[in-house]
Amino acid sequence: MTHPLNRTTCEEAFRRLDDFLDRRLPEPEMRLIEEHLEICAACAREFTFEASVLNGVRQKLRQLTMPPDLLTRITAEIQAARKTGSG
Amino acid sequence: MALCPPADFESLFAGVAGTAFGIAARLTHNQADAEDLVQEAALLAFRAFASFEPGTNFRAWFFKILTNCYFSKRRREKSRPVTSDLDDTPDLYLYARSAEMGFPTQGPDPAAQLLDQLGTERVVAAIARLPDEYRVVATLYFMEDLSYEEIAQALSCPVGTVRSRLHRGRKMLQKALYQVAEESGIVTHHAGAAE
Repeated sequence: MTHPLNRTTCEEAFRRLDDFLDRRLPEPEMRLIEEHLEICAACAREFTFEASVLNGVRQKLRQLTMPPDLLTRITAEIQAARKTGSG
Repeated sequence: MALCPPADFESLFAGVAGTAFGIAARLTHNQADAEDLVQEAALLAFRAFASFEPGTNFRAWFFKILTNCYFSKRRREKSRPVTSDLDDTPDLYLYARSAEMGFPTQGPDPAAQLLDQLGTERVVAAIARLPDEYRVVATLYFMEDLSYEEIAQALSCPVGTVRSRLHRGRKMLQKALYQVAEESGIVTHHAGAAE
């Protein structure tokens, strides 16, 4: 039988931090961590901060737009390769 | 039941082109190089399209070609020095340092203030400090919602390698973000603070 994580198992929760944030844990373990975060303010702060860093980095890195003509140019190259049989 | 006709290369490529350009831009740090990289990968993928199995994951298949092109290009260039001072970064590095510097560590989005002050270019610069093997995994992870399995497929490595590189890469990135913040004067170095 598994027991809910509690204040004495912050270390166990912390070991699962990355997998928890990426939702890589089996559902029962996800729930255990969530239960722990509800009762452990220190871990909740750390987990929230880590998630915030990841989301912030993700948002910043994704601020990019493909040049509008790039797809057209590449498609033209592919079609030319198809015609010449180099594909 | 009628079978759908197989999608042609152009339509499949069009669905991933934007993300491919984003990944290429973050890997090369240069728009012209990114465009060249995507174009080179697209032509290689087109020529190899017969080996793509319809119904399987085109995105992961194409990103594998894209990252191979990138690694091949990197090998032709002079190797960058390895940024070894990012090794052995303690856990929760940015959290601990942010608290020291008075940035909020609580609330719905506690890191936003620091990251907003850094801005996109400095966040990109922080990623650029990671050693290649961590940088490429982190770029795929952040730029597209790829599963560990898709990243592993794109990089031809085991899922466990992706997991461990992401874990270490995240820690290194936190230190790199802090270094960039310090160098740009957003935070000031505290004497005696843990390295």
